[in-house]
Amino acid sequence: MLENSVALGNSAQGFFIESQRFKTTYISYNFYLPLEKENAAQFALLPFILTTCGKEYPDFSKLNFKLNKLYSASLSASAEKVGDYQLLKMSISVIDDKYALDGEELVLKAAELLNSLVFLPRTENNAFFSEDVEREKRKAIEHIRGEIAEKRLYARRRLIEEMYKDDIYGTPKCGTEADVERITPENLYKAWEYMLSTASIVVNVVSGVLPNNIFGDIKSQLSGIDRSRAISVLPSRPTRALYAAKHIEEKMDVAQGKLVMGFSAGTSVDDEVGAALTVMCDIFGGGPYSRLFANVREKMSLCYYCSASIEKRKGLLMVDSGVEAQNAKKAEAEILRQLEIVKSGNFTDFEFESSKKSIVNSLRGYGDHQEAVDAWFTIKSAVNSPVSPEDFAKLIEKVDKNAVIEAAKTVKLHTVYMLMPEKSGNGEEEI
Amino acid sequence: MQKQIFESEIGESYTLATLDNGLKIYICEKPSYTSAYAIFGTKYGSIDTRFSKNGGEAVSVPECIAHFLEHKLFESEDGDAFTKYAETGAMANAFTSFDRTCYLFSCSDRFYENLNILLDFVQSPYFTKETVEKEQGIIGQEIRMYDDSPSFKVLFNMLSQMYINHAVKIDIAGTVESIAEINSDLLYKCYETFYNPANMYICIAGNVDTKEVLSIIESSIKPCERVEIDRVGFDEPDSVLSNYVEQSFPVLTPIFCYGYKQKIKTPYRRLKSKVCVELLLEIICGEASPLYKRLVDEGLINDEFEFEYFTGRDYASVIFSGESSDPKRVAEEISKEIAKIRENGFDKRLFSAVKCALYGDAVRSFNSVEAIALSFTECAISDYDLFEKIRLLKTVSYADVLKRIDVFDDDLSVLSVISPLNGDKK
Repeated sequence: MLENSVALGNSAQGFFIESQRFKTTYISYNFYLPLEKENAAQFALLPFILTTCGKEYPDFSKLNFKLNKLYSASLSASAEKVGDYQLLKMSISVIDDKYALDGEELVLKAAELLNSLVFLPRTENNAFFSEDVEREKRKAIEHIRGEIAEKRLYARRRLIEEMYKDDIYGTPKCGTEADVERITPENLYKAWEYMLSTASIVVNVVSGVLPNNIFGDIKSQLSGIDRSRAISVLPSRPTRALYAAKHIEEKMDVAQGKLVMGFSAGTSVDDEVGAALTVMCDIFGGGPYSRLFANVREKMSLCYYCSASIEKRKGLLMVDSGVEAQNAKKAEAEILRQLEIVKSGNFTDFEFESSKKSIVNSLRGYGDHQEAVDAWFTIKSAVNSPVSPEDFAKLIEKVDKNAVIEAAKTVKLHTVYMLMPEKSGNGEEEI
Repeated sequence: MQKQIFESEIGESYTLATLDNGLKIYICEKPSYTSAYAIFGTKYGSIDTRFSKNGGEAVSVPECIAHFLEHKLFESEDGDAFTKYAETGAMANAFTSFDRTCYLFSCSDRFYENLNILLDFVQSPYFTKETVEKEQGIIGQEIRMYDDSPSFKVLFNMLSQMYINHAVKIDIAGTVESIAEINSDLLYKCYETFYNPANMYICIAGNVDTKEVLSIIESSIKPCERVEIDRVGFDEPDSVLSNYVEQSFPVLTPIFCYGYKQKIKTPYRRLKSKVCVELLLEIICGEASPLYKRLVDEGLINDEFEFEYFTGRDYASVIFSGESSDPKRVAEEISKEIAKIRENGFDKRLFSAVKCALYGDAVRSFNSVEAIALSFTECAISDYDLFEKIRLLKTVSYADVLKRIDVFDDDLSVLSVISPLNGDKK
């Protein structure tokens, strides 16, 4: 993989990641905006409305017809939380011209299509069309309501809400239902203008060949916009450690309970500290060799899944598991005991080495997945630390046991969230 | 060993080798990739519940054994396969579906060592009373996790009304009661029947050398007698138990599965039929279809809407699923659209567009070593060439697709709905 970057204007950069492995060209437009409680829902709606219709494609059926004719060019939209920022992504993936059956030009057409959707939406009198806005609002609300159906996701979301009540990171990535209701064609148009003028922008192209003048076209679009107030992505506010952890329990009509534990942890970009945090989290609750899998699931049979993940930008380590109500307290105690073992350095060489090998194995495979390459460079370029997966793999290989212990010492229990069946205790009487 | 090489104009090729014991090996070299993906699979899934071995008497076993075996095979007498993979850094996993069990790993280094681990543990069953009991606890928790998943329930509720005798209606993992019936004797009996090389396949894609892979496999496959398996059919009638099933759950928007059971005469569908039905589904309600637009404009579906041709040994149905404030209306609209197409045919421009789209998807699938290896499992089970779909998509005609409208029969449809609990309705 070779990367070339091109400045596209104030706080806007294009990256061409050249790779001959794929049969497709992948282009993504990424807009970073500071997470704001009042505006998160509006911003989150933008990628979706922009990729369902546009000035040149007023009707989503016609747009989808065009995508079919481009051999299933795949148009995607997402709104994610990255630390204290919202990342709005719009992307297209299209098979390369040489695979077209009738010699059609595909890549350039797909690039033009995405450009036109981002910069030329279907609007009139400084407002989106209300039918488009209402349609996307309905879908957004159904999406928010749908989260409750998948209990694992729901429990994770509830933990974040509880843990970050006084922190912007507690804002749901697509806002709340009430926030979505407040979106109007006018305020959404303003949000679109704000996104173009203010966001930190990263455009990635992952392909064998850079489509002709793709960055030039974007540059000329951006030159017509006042980007003097464009933001830079800064480090997020670290998660504050608590003196005494909070415990929250909710009841629902479920068969199995969910136990999610949030910890404050060290923060980093992808430097030596970040590598140590990654290894520590993996020894604790990564693969089948990890402390949580080997002990909480295999040895004690307390749950079917029990794993840890880390958001290093925010300093958040999360453990989630599905447990029977009567085992919840026992599982919580055992998870904390395993963390103490990692902190004291009493993990084995086997766990330590297995963890590093597993992380390196996964990092070295990144280049084989176009979307993973895009995701990696989207995150890295925005924080001005374009470490490649290979560079980060080298940092992982250098992590020693002391660095893991130091990383583990930053981890402190913050909030415990339990979702329990309605007719149950959580096993407290057993302790 | 017999070897065949298949090539395609999209710049891909693969080798299919068949060993004398019947084991099929598919290998697609991707030298520009860093990683590789390997699967060791058996044609044994949850529906293989009644069978005879080498012409003997037919036996019946609980549905959940294939899945239980999948969990148990990772343990061997000399330790656990995950521990061995941990030493190489590979990512390992396994899955069981209705008609197959697959053990897999992906890695970006030490591929041949990993391949040896895979070959070794899948061929080394080791079950004791204690290990079986421990697994009953873990699988019991897995089953209870699915008990809380409305998307899982909505599908199996539909299948429970659609199929009368066929085991496809039973959860792959079984129930807490059925897994309690399992013991090590049953596990060995099923293992010795279905984990025979003649019933198995190895599928590999990525940065590997075909010659070396074949030499490792040839030297690692343990000698054993070839087993002939006769699977007993289900005697499934061309009817459904009921056309509607509903269950309440803690959800805020109803979830639905709307399926059409197909009357079938042969155990398996040919690839051409599958491709034609896939095209027809895109025409009926794909994102560029008039029906999709209507359903979205009327607020009846959202981005969760999807459809599939759900078919395997002795079963075939078309399933539409998603979230909707009014699942009954969605089902009615789909049924009306099918009737309209049956009567008047469909738009030729749309036909040509969806053909392009499916062709593009087929080309795109060669980006992923995982997707290639998984497609090989389909080739092994249904016995077709990986590139056949790409060729078919260039040649299928309007008439080929239109005649597949016969898979839809309203009398054989089932609508399954998961509705909000009282008080959760919005």
